[in-house]
Amino acid sequence: MDALNRTLDIVWPARMMPYTGWALLMPALLLVGLLVLGLFQMADSSLHTLDRSTFLPSENYTLENYRTVVENATYGKIIWRSVLGAVLTVFFTLLLALPYSYIMVRTSSSAVRKVLLVTLFLPFFIGQVVRAYGLLIILGTTGVANNALGLVGVEPIRLLFNFPAVVFGLVQYMLPFAVLMLAPALTAIPRETETAAASLGANWLQSFRHVVIPMAKPGLIGAGLVVGTLALTDFAMPAMLGGGSQDFIANAIYDQFFRTADQGLGAALALMLVVLGSVFVAIVISIFGAGTLGMGGKK
Amino acid sequence: MTAVSQRFLFWTIVWFCILILSVPTIIVVGASFTTANMISFPPEGFTFRWYEKIALARDLQQAFIRSLFVSTVCLIVSVPIGTLAGLALARFRIRFANLVQVYLLLPFTIPLIGSGIGMMLIFGEWRILGSLWPIGVALAVINLPFIIWSVSSAAGALDSDLELAASSCGAGRFETFWYVTLPGVMPGVITGGLLMFVLAMSEFLVSLLLTDARTVTLPVQIYNNIRSIITPDLAAVSSVFVVIALFAVWLLDRLVGLEIFLKSK
Repeated sequence: MDALNRTLDIVWPARMMPYTGWALLMPALLLVGLLVLGLFQMADSSLHTLDRSTFLPSENYTLENYRTVVENATYGKIIWRSVLGAVLTVFFTLLLALPYSYIMVRTSSSAVRKVLLVTLFLPFFIGQVVRAYGLLIILGTTGVANNALGLVGVEPIRLLFNFPAVVFGLVQYMLPFAVLMLAPALTAIPRETETAAASLGANWLQSFRHVVIPMAKPGLIGAGLVVGTLALTDFAMPAMLGGGSQDFIANAIYDQFFRTADQGLGAALALMLVVLGSVFVAIVISIFGAGTLGMGGKK
Repeated sequence: MTAVSQRFLFWTIVWFCILILSVPTIIVVGASFTTANMISFPPEGFTFRWYEKIALARDLQQAFIRSLFVSTVCLIVSVPIGTLAGLALARFRIRFANLVQVYLLLPFTIPLIGSGIGMMLIFGEWRILGSLWPIGVALAVINLPFIIWSVSSAAGALDSDLELAASSCGAGRFETFWYVTLPGVMPGVITGGLLMFVLAMSEFLVSLLLTDARTVTLPVQIYNNIRSIITPDLAAVSSVFVVIALFAVWLLDRLVGLEIFLKSK
């Protein structure tokens, strides 16, 4: 131990103390730097078009790829579909997440609370592929949903490989995120405010609309933006539940890299998505501050 | 206290949520015991046949071992780096701390497809694409905020007088760190490590971008097989993830208590 102390005194003498914080941060800064490097590499790729005769990226720098994305109607359609999917997902997810977190926070039974929490965390750890697989089995033509419909005399219908199936999958995927972001916001609302509203003659709908929702607004906006960004950039749900006919932006990017091997165009699309996502995030941070995730023990 | 109509409406929605969150999992586990060759509902009979089949399938076995390897690399990279960064954020006055936080949150704010493609290009440039360990590093990068967050909240709860007491009793800086600070934040380190490992096990999109036929990991293998056909042995593989998740939730509850996520900041 003494030897270690002495070594530390030599390599990091006490007068260096003011920089200790930065020294401890350095490995993390470098590791995340990998992402920044990746962005630069992407930007570089996006400025070269694919030469169709040699299948190599062109030598000279050009904005051609960005023009293709903007002018090509296919991408317009895909971007529109992603944005619409994200908006619908946010709406339905919040609609479900608000009562769920409300009950979870306000229930007096700790057993109920535990069950509700476990129900949320389990899917979070199971992973997206397995969850999408479960939904595939349920929604398939011979699946549970259709069998249930069959019992009440409804003919088997195609529940998979369409836009609503993708949105449903996204809502199911985002629900735990939304609830976990909303719950702390609801915890912060004192129970007494609602009691006060009720004693002044408000029914529950009124007190919910005029007391709970306004007070939970930061949480609602935060959850909405996070869910929106994740849904907008999702790959697995459109790929698995959309069956290739319901591509989102991420699927289009993947196809450019792995099917048509047009790196430049794919990189341009990816970079535009990063910018779009960053705009959302900038809004979140400017509303809530950078400590949104509670990093740093701010006292 | 609450009105009957409110209770009824809210509990209906809660039950609907429970249904859509847990039925897919139950169905997958149920389907893995079916005796039929195709997945059918309700499952016919009961058999462990598919588990025997996957235990003998070489490609699945190897994909599973690769997943374990990748997650271990992710753990080895992320735990020391994340712990130091978490301590730095909670324990030291850092200039531009806000900027540093925004930067360290980049893994969450850059869409996964963007991070994945970026690292794929970088790894390609460095000629390490196609090896297994870079995937572990990549997964450490994209989930790093989780461990920084869990360590820094543990360090925030630790009384800094303890460290002062240790050093006034003659402990050197290293001893103070090793015997006081580190044990104090250990719960945060373990929680963070657990999150990193389990999330790396089930991560899909970045793994899909960085793997090829020789380095495919288990979630990617499941995805590839689903594309062709849905069979009960795939449900059996998926059940492996359900078991891992159950264990992780149990451990997380024992270590920090799930209720911690309800606390308002």
